Amino acid sequence: MGNPLLLFWQRMLADQQRPAPPRARTRPELAGPQPSATIFLILRRMRMPLIILIVIFAVSVLGLSLTPGQDLDGRPERLNIFESFYFMSYTATTIGFGEIPHAFTSAQRMWVTFAIFLSVIGWAYAIGSLLALLQDRSFRRAVALQRFVRAVHRLREPFFIVVGHGAVGQRLTRSLDAVGRRFVVVDKEDDRITALELGSYHADAPAVVASGSNTRMLAAAGLNHPRCEGVLALTGDDEANLAVTMATALLRPDLRVVARTGSRAVAERMEAFGAPDVINPFDRFGDHLRILLRSPAAYQLMMWLTSPVGTKLPPPREPLPRGRWVVYGQGSFGTEVARDLRAEGVDVAVVGPGDVDAFDPDAVLGAGLEGASGLVAATASDTTNLSLVRYAASLSSDLFLVARQNGSANSPLYRALGVDLVLVPADVLLHEVLARLVNPLLLPFLRQVPHQGEAWSARLVSRLTEGCGRTLGDVWRVSLTAEEAPGLWRWLEAGEVTLGDLLRRPEERDRQVAAVVVMLKRGDETSLAPDDDVVLRPGDELLVIGLQSAQRAVDQTLHDEATAEYVVTGRSVATGWLWRRLAGRD
Amino acid sequence: MNLEKVIFGFFVVFAATLNFGFFVGDISRPELHNIYELFAAVVVNLIATVLKFGDRTQIGAVHLATSLVASLQLIAASIVWAWATNVSVSGMSPETTASVVSLSGGALFANVVSVVLLTVETVSFQRR
Repeated sequence: MGNPLLLFWQRMLADQQRPAPPRARTRPELAGPQPSATIFLILRRMRMPLIILIVIFAVSVLGLSLTPGQDLDGRPERLNIFESFYFMSYTATTIGFGEIPHAFTSAQRMWVTFAIFLSVIGWAYAIGSLLALLQDRSFRRAVALQRFVRAVHRLREPFFIVVGHGAVGQRLTRSLDAVGRRFVVVDKEDDRITALELGSYHADAPAVVASGSNTRMLAAAGLNHPRCEGVLALTGDDEANLAVTMATALLRPDLRVVARTGSRAVAERMEAFGAPDVINPFDRFGDHLRILLRSPAAYQLMMWLTSPVGTKLPPPREPLPRGRWVVYGQGSFGTEVARDLRAEGVDVAVVGPGDVDAFDPDAVLGAGLEGASGLVAATASDTTNLSLVRYAASLSSDLFLVARQNGSANSPLYRALGVDLVLVPADVLLHEVLARLVNPLLLPFLRQVPHQGEAWSARLVSRLTEGCGRTLGDVWRVSLTAEEAPGLWRWLEAGEVTLGDLLRRPEERDRQVAAVVVMLKRGDETSLAPDDDVVLRPGDELLVIGLQSAQRAVDQTLHDEATAEYVVTGRSVATGWLWRRLAGRD
Repeated sequence: MNLEKVIFGFFVVFAATLNFGFFVGDISRPELHNIYELFAAVVVNLIATVLKFGDRTQIGAVHLATSLVASLQLIAASIVWAWATNVSVSGMSPETTASVVSLSGGALFANVVSVVLLTVETVSFQRR
């Protein structure tokens, strides 16, 4: 209850300061599971054993105090209630001090024998109930849920909710962990949550076994948490992903949603709710094929930049042949790929069973496999795809082979068969999700890469490998604002800093840090891979790729005025107050 | 009729009646206050307390609180009695008897609150 006095004043003043009725929707109350549920469960289950213990104790004590006894001289004397309570306390708890205060009579010994057996039964029942409760499945779930809710509640850093911790989810959480982002995991399967616990992540990741379509569990996972950054719906079940997207869009419209789906219809239904990032791996793979048709170097660059930190540069690819293609399989993947290839002006023949994923050599031959330059094995069955690839390879050795891999365990088979390009939905998803999460500037950059041409992409790849090695470093953003670049601010305002200056080493300005600026954003305009002599202006944003040491060095330049002065002008200035006074500055 | 409610009501009322039985009578005369009645009151109060465990409603929480108060008061009264009869040289003097009985009087008040709560709960249940 609130303070009654406050309530009174509110009522009194209500006429003058009645607040305008809220027009915007208020954040709905989201009741997650109550954290105190476990203690109530224990108390409720322990009622009967406790009552039985009390009754047994009471009967034993009362009986003992009523049984006739005698004192040392043989006069009749009974134990009073306190003495019998004392005796029963140490007897029932198996301490056993003996017969106090006097030796017992036979009648008392008979009663005590009875009471001992009675109390043994009572204790056995009580302890047995408690142990059974601890073993109980629903109880353990309640405890795990309570721990989860507390852990989520205690999160003080921005975090994502990852729904679905399968092949994609696990690789994604690992990548997020590697770049120091926090996340909460929700998955239906017990094993996948166990995998998270065994995975030795840097940060503690709260996880719970639950279905993502359960809104209460989403609430428990922190949907209403002020630090929640976004929700990733990555389960293999379109319906569940749709449910997560809807729940988030309705309850927290301000959150980012990245949702996975395999079908266009579901994607449209998702997009009807807010503005989620819907990723259809089949559709995206078609886009990848298009990029590969236009510019292999752009494909190489994009795949590399959207990999987890520390990934080696993927080998360069030959451009795809532009002759006639045969797509086998008319499922959603076959249709998507055929559509994308046709959009690039490639002649495509789609064959094969619609739903039945059987291998039919005659149908492939009928579509004109002989003389074709590429084949896409697009059925939902790995055995059919493998047979198809083997059959096509036996017909013509220079055919470009693309296959869809369905089971994640079958990737060695495709590799052994020498398939040129394998669609692994999990891989495609991982690239797409990372492109969206790692950095807000990364996606705008990647969108422009395919339009820059082969030579530009190849040049940028070689610049990156020269600048920071063949393994992918961190991708980070530099904002040249007064808050984030206080050290450099004076020179920025004067227009004396070039991009090359920013990347000089704070300890030796003639050398550069191991980082490459791949995009400069000024207002609404962006320029890709800017040159070193570009003059930086206040408010510019940079997308930088480089090693962690480089990030620390650039941070030092941004924040420390003395470092900035050395880096920009080459003058070493005193940092201490006294020396600065003596040097006549300030 | 709900058997659980019968047992619950029985113990709540029984705890109050036993407590009252011990309390009633001249406060300083030990022969008017039977120690076995105090013993029974303690036991029944403990059982009533345990019966109130695990109820998550607001009224359930107040129920539990009153029972805890009553049990604590009665246990305190028993301790005073045990001290007087087994340790103190003067035995059950009028002063100690008075303190035992007044402690149980406090418990009686808590038990009355408990019974009132029970009645309120029953009445409001029937109105619904």
